[in-house]
Parts: sequence; C-alpha cells; structure tokens
Amino acid sequence: MLFNTPQFFAFLAIVLILFYSAPRVLRKYILLAASYFFYMSFIPKFILLLLSLTAIDYTAARWIARTRSPHARKAALVISLSANLGLLGFFKYYNFFAANIAHLFHKPSDAFALSIILPLGISFHTFQSMSYVIDVYRNEQQPITNPIDYALFISFFPQLVAGPIVRAREFFGDLYHWKRPSSDDVLRGLLLLLLGLAKKMVMADQFAQIANGYFQDMSKHPGAVPAWSAVIAFGIQIYFDFSGYTDMAIGMAKLLGFHFPVNFRRPYLASSITDFWHRWHISLSRWLRDYLYIPLGGNRHGRLETYRNLMLTMLLGGMWHGASWNFLVWGGYHGALLSLERMFRRKNAPEGSSWTALYPLKAVITFALVMIGWVFFRAATFHDSLYVLHQMFFVLHGRQLIPSWLKDLALITLLLALFEEKKEWFEKIAIGPAWAYGAVCAILLLSVELIGYTEAAVPFVYFQF
Amino acid sequence: VFAAILCFVALEGVLFHTGLYSSIIEPDSSTGYMELQLRNEIRRPKPNRNQVLAVGHSRMALLPRVVNQETSNQGQRGTGYTFASIGLGGTTPRIWYYALRALDPTARNYAAIVIPTDDFNEPDTYDYQSEREPDLHYLIARLGFRDLMEFPWTYRSRKLQWVTFRGIILKGFVYKRDFLEFLDHPLARIAKARYVDTDSAGWYYGYGGVDQNLAGLRIDWQHKTMQFPDRIPENERKQIEGTVFQPLPPDEGRETAYLSYWYGKIIEHYRGSGTKLIFMRVPRAPTSPPDPAPKPDSAIRQIASQPDVIVLDEHLFDQLEHPDLFWDAQHLNRPGMEQFSKILAAEVRRVLGPPKP
Repeated sequence: MLFNTPQFFAFLAIVLILFYSAPRVLRKYILLAASYFFYMSFIPKFILLLLSLTAIDYTAARWIARTRSPHARKAALVISLSANLGLLGFFKYYNFFAANIAHLFHKPSDAFALSIILPLGISFHTFQSMSYVIDVYRNEQQPITNPIDYALFISFFPQLVAGPIVRAREFFGDLYHWKRPSSDDVLRGLLLLLLGLAKKMVMADQFAQIANGYFQDMSKHPGAVPAWSAVIAFGIQIYFDFSGYTDMAIGMAKLLGFHFPVNFRRPYLASSITDFWHRWHISLSRWLRDYLYIPLGGNRHGRLETYRNLMLTMLLGGMWHGASWNFLVWGGYHGALLSLERMFRRKNAPEGSSWTALYPLKAVITFALVMIGWVFFRAATFHDSLYVLHQMFFVLHGRQLIPSWLKDLALITLLLALFEEKKEWFEKIAIGPAWAYGAVCAILLLSVELIGYTEAAVPFVYFQF
Repeated sequence: VFAAILCFVALEGVLFHTGLYSSIIEPDSSTGYMELQLRNEIRRPKPNRNQVLAVGHSRMALLPRVVNQETSNQGQRGTGYTFASIGLGGTTPRIWYYALRALDPTARNYAAIVIPTDDFNEPDTYDYQSEREPDLHYLIARLGFRDLMEFPWTYRSRKLQWVTFRGIILKGFVYKRDFLEFLDHPLARIAKARYVDTDSAGWYYGYGGVDQNLAGLRIDWQHKTMQFPDRIPENERKQIEGTVFQPLPPDEGRETAYLSYWYGKIIEHYRGSGTKLIFMRVPRAPTSPPDPAPKPDSAIRQIASQPDVIVLDEHLFDQLEHPDLFWDAQHLNRPGMEQFSKILAAEVRRVLGPPKP
C-alpha cells in the first residue's frame, strides 16, 4: 500500500475517522492496529520480525533502567544492538558479503547466496529502535513502561517505512501530551500531504522516466550531455521522491496530532557539502552524528582524527543505504569532500549558506559535486559508475534527454525553493487567506492530475532501504 | 479546505468541461481527429433533411465526394441525397453512438444513418470491442457527468471501469499525454489547432484513397494458404496473412452482446424520428471468404425487424472482394472505394425512395 495510491488515501481516511470518533483512551490502539495493518499490506510474515525487535528492545530498555550493575546494563545494550544489527546485517548485507567471499575463493558470485527479501523499512525502524535503547542507556530517556506505546513508536505508519527517524522523546512527548491539532495544523498537514504527493508524482516520477531510460541502457545515449542530463534527472528524482514521502509523512502525522522533525531543507541550495548534509535527510544525519560521529570522538581530538571520524561516519552512512560497493564509494566520496572542506575552511567560517556574491557559484559547484556522487548511488555496478563518469567528463557531445517542459518545471521549483528559503511562502500560505490556500491546493491537485505520472504507482526510492 | 476544493473544481471545469482545452488539442491525436470530424460535420450546411451520414471505422470507405459530385453534375439523375461521412479508423459502435448523439442531439438532421458491420455472424475476437480503452480517448471531449452512470459500466474490466469513471470526472487524466506535449510547444500547438480547425473540412472529402492493389493474390480459404504476387514484400505478406487468417476464440456471444447493446442505443436515439438506420456489411477481404452457417441470433439479424431499421443484402458488396480493389488485407483502394461509394449510394437511394422536397 504505497502512499501514492487511492487505496492508501482510503486507508488514511478510515484511520482518521476511526481515530477521531473513538474515545481518547482507545486511539493509540487504533493507530497501532492501523500501523500493523499497513505494514502487513506489503509482506505479512515480516510482522513477526517487527514484533520480535519491538519485544527485545522494549525489554532491553526496561532492564537497563531497572538494573544498577554497569555490566548488566551493558549486556542488555549489547543484546539489543546485536539483535537489531544482526537482523539488519543478515537481511541487508549477507548476500553482499557472500558474493565478495565467493569472489575471493574464485567461485561464482551466487555460490553462497541466499534468497533473501529485505523487510520493508528495516533500516529505519532498527535505527529508531537503537536510538531509544542507547538513549535509555545514556540516561537521556526514561524507559517506556507500556508496551503498546513502545510498539506504536516503532511501527507508527506515517514514518515506519522510510522515516523520518524520530527520537523517542519527540514521539512520546506528543503521545503523552496529545492535543487535538489546531485548525492551522490541519491546514498545514493537508497542504504537506498534497505537496508531497505532487513532489512524488509530478517531479520525481516524471524525472525518473529520464533517469531510468538512461541507466537501463547507457550505451544508447553516448556523450557528456545525455550523461549529465540523466544524472541531474536522477538527482531531481531522488530529492523529490524522498522529500515528497517525508512531506506526506509529516503531513499525516500533523493530522493525527504528532510532530515529526524536518527531514529536508532545500538541499540543492546548499553552498557547501557540509551545508548539504545539514539539509539532506536531516534525521539520518542527526542519528549518525549523535550515535556514531560524536562517540567516535567527533572533532575533539585533532584534525586527523576528525577526518577519520568523518570518513568512517560517511562510509557507514553509505552502507546504511544498501549493500554494494557503490554505496560505500558514495559514502566515502562525501566523507572525503567533507574532510576536504574542513581542511580548507577558515576558522569561525559559517557552516550554512550566506547570501554573498559568491553564493551562486558555491551553490552550483556544490550541486555539481552532489550530482557526481549520485552516479554511484544510481548506477547498477561500480563499472557502470565509471562508465557514466567517463561519459560525463571525457566524451563531450550528445543530445540532452530532458524535455523542455520538464526543464521549465524544474526552473519553477527552483524559484519556489529560493522564495521559500527567503520568504517562507509555505507557512504564509498555510495560515494565509482562504483563497490563496485554495488556489495553491487547486494548482497542486491539477498538477498531479495533468502532469503526474499515473501509468502505475511507482514505489518510493527509499522503500528499498 | 472548502476553498481548495472549490478552486480545483472551478479550474478543472473551466479547462476541460467547457471545450476550452479540446479546442487546442493535438489535431493528429484520436481525440483531436474525432473532434475535428464532429466539428466539421456540425458546421457543414444542411439546407434540408435529405442528408445521409455514414459512420464507421477505417473499412467504411465511403467517398462522399464521388456520390455528391455525381448528384450535382447530373441534377435529378443523381441520388438526390447529400452524403457525408465521419468514418474514422479505430472507432467502434460505442463511439458511433456518442458521435451521433453529439451531431444530432434532436435526431432531426438526417434522412438516414449508414452503419457498417464486419460480419453478420459477429464472431468473438481476441480484441474485445467492449474493452477498448481508446474509446475513452476518442470521446473524452463529448462525455459529461450525465454519462457517469452508463459509459464506465459498459466495460467489463474493473480497472477500465475505474479509469473511465475517473476520466469522465477528472478529464485531465485522459488529456495528460496531450497536455505534456502541449507544454513542450504551446504556441505552435495553438497555431496548428487553429489552422486545422479552419482549413481541414476539405481535406477529408478530398481524400481519394490508396492506388496500390493486391492483383495476383490468391487465397485458399480451406487450407489457409496464400499465394502472393512477387512484388509484395515479406513483411506485408505476414501482415496480410495474420489479418486474413486471424485466429478466433470460441464464440461466447460477447461480440453479439456488445453489438446488440450499442445498435440498440443508436436505434433508441432515433426511435420515432423518421431517420432510417441502414446497416450493411463492408467488403471483407481481397477474395470472398466462405460463408459459414448463419447465426440466427446475431445482433444484426435480431434488429432487422425493428421499425426504421434497414439491413442491406449481406452479399451486396461481394463483387468488391477482389484483389484488384484492395490495397491491404482489409481496406479498399481508390477504385474499390469509388465503386463501393457508388453502389452504396445507389442502394441507399433505392431503399429510402426519392428525397423529400
């Protein structure tokens, strides 16, 4: 049941009706049942996995909070982390390592392979679960006593499959002090839901046609121009796909009285790679910072260790996306860029975007660097990535692949992003006059109807992670 | 939220439910071509009711120019009727009904409507006419909310029922591909649509057909083999063989049920209006196929006894089923079309009697 299908909207409508017509005490049970129903609409048997991890982490956190023995606390933490990382490792990385071991022993790549289907959203809910147990271990979070509450935290359907990765204190703050959403929040929620749908169907799915067409058979489109246009098309696709999903998740949460953290802040307007990572998949960046980069030492032990920590964090961040050398290279590429930036950055220089005369140049360079990184993300193999990079830089000819109306659309969204960056039009519209709100919603609906890709419901890119 | 819904309904309505967008639709698309035909026929002067309109698909090869010129050249010795045609490749009886409803809403414009059929036995084919999604595209500009209760439910497939239901309400879904092409070159599109709209009436009636023929072709219907003249290339041979010896599924009466429904709708539309509905079998193939035993409960045989329905002799055009008069497996060439037009016009004149003053 994808977010971009009529079935999902029917499901959401039923959940909202049941949620608001039920007595308050029953509402979390309705949300939990709806979340499990949503999860089981994909591959039902994996509910056992979700339930098992929920039980393990719930018990581990309670054990950590109850016992005074540091060894017992650590043992509980290790059990919890091992369960999460073990299952994640098995489902996500087993075949990758098996193929590499087979390669080492000169055997066929599938010699030790297993037929494994990746459970939906496993990378997201395991990270969310681990952050809770670690927070309890660090005494930054009280253990949750009600297993239903904890199960809902792990399985809450708006963010179960592809985030944002929500912290326990944020979620339980909303759950335990639940307030009926204000009319402004309902309007914001609906607008986000619609904006996310338009981002997905109008932008992501249309640009996906270009990117897929190129990457399925790159030899059909030789030259730098088609290579760059396909890579940019993929860059646009992945941003609008993921941020569209996130907008819908945040919007739905708002309609149910929950508040999710922002996950994207116009990342392609970033003026540096550091700035990009402050704007892209913020909830994952924040997780990696708090549970990996800072525990590794962060930037507290000198330059070389800072670079090492950045590199390790980004390599693991790359691997989080999937088990392939391409993701590892993608992570390493960003780690190297972050290290280089840190190496050459002046002391006390601001990390974010500052609107100076050099900003457009910096933004364009950052955009180009990010696009180069996407080559590793999108290409099927490392060899394919090298082929595309070769085309992009050394075969200077070819015909661009993006039709003019899509380019116009991209330009309009760029202007809207710039306007949002400076003037925050979204908020003004959400709480502005009814006619403006109505007109924007109507345009979004009309764009989904007229421009949205409706041949088939295209799964979200991040569902595979 | 109410404002959002209101704005959306207003925008969608103004764009797609008023004819605004259909006036700039790509003329070479199925919707565009259909609209052009309908607009040209609506605009064609009709000084009296002695008008005969032929509907049909690409095999309905009536050349109104041929029979109308004869009338004007020979005065009273011609048929006395003015012939017009909105025959359009790929269309089906479902489309013809809605086209007639659009052209003749009061059922008073025509003395007769000529409606073709491919085979009086109406065998089922693998290409079920009832499940043709393109019908929605041909008709989208002419379908409205009043059709919601009928049009979608004439499809059997749930998916097509949903697609057509949604398409009638939210026409943008159907116009989507055309709209994206429009966005690529909007000014050029508007110019083309205007040019075609003002200049196209004569093009259709000026069309004379294809000069090629299949002379020398022999078909052994019993053994399902063909002998081609040397000049026919291999790919065309395969295409002709595939069409002529098209495999058929077991007959479950689906085609008959479909035709009964839509012939019935056309008959109902013209009931009591005085307009005659003339059904005829088009020339079938470059040589006459053997006639199977007649299916007595076929739609065409069932409606034959209804008032104002005239079914022309099944074998009227058998003489045209000759390789010299076909350019492919199904379509008459220029001489074939001319002969067809003359025979049909004369037969229509015979069954209608003299035109009314």
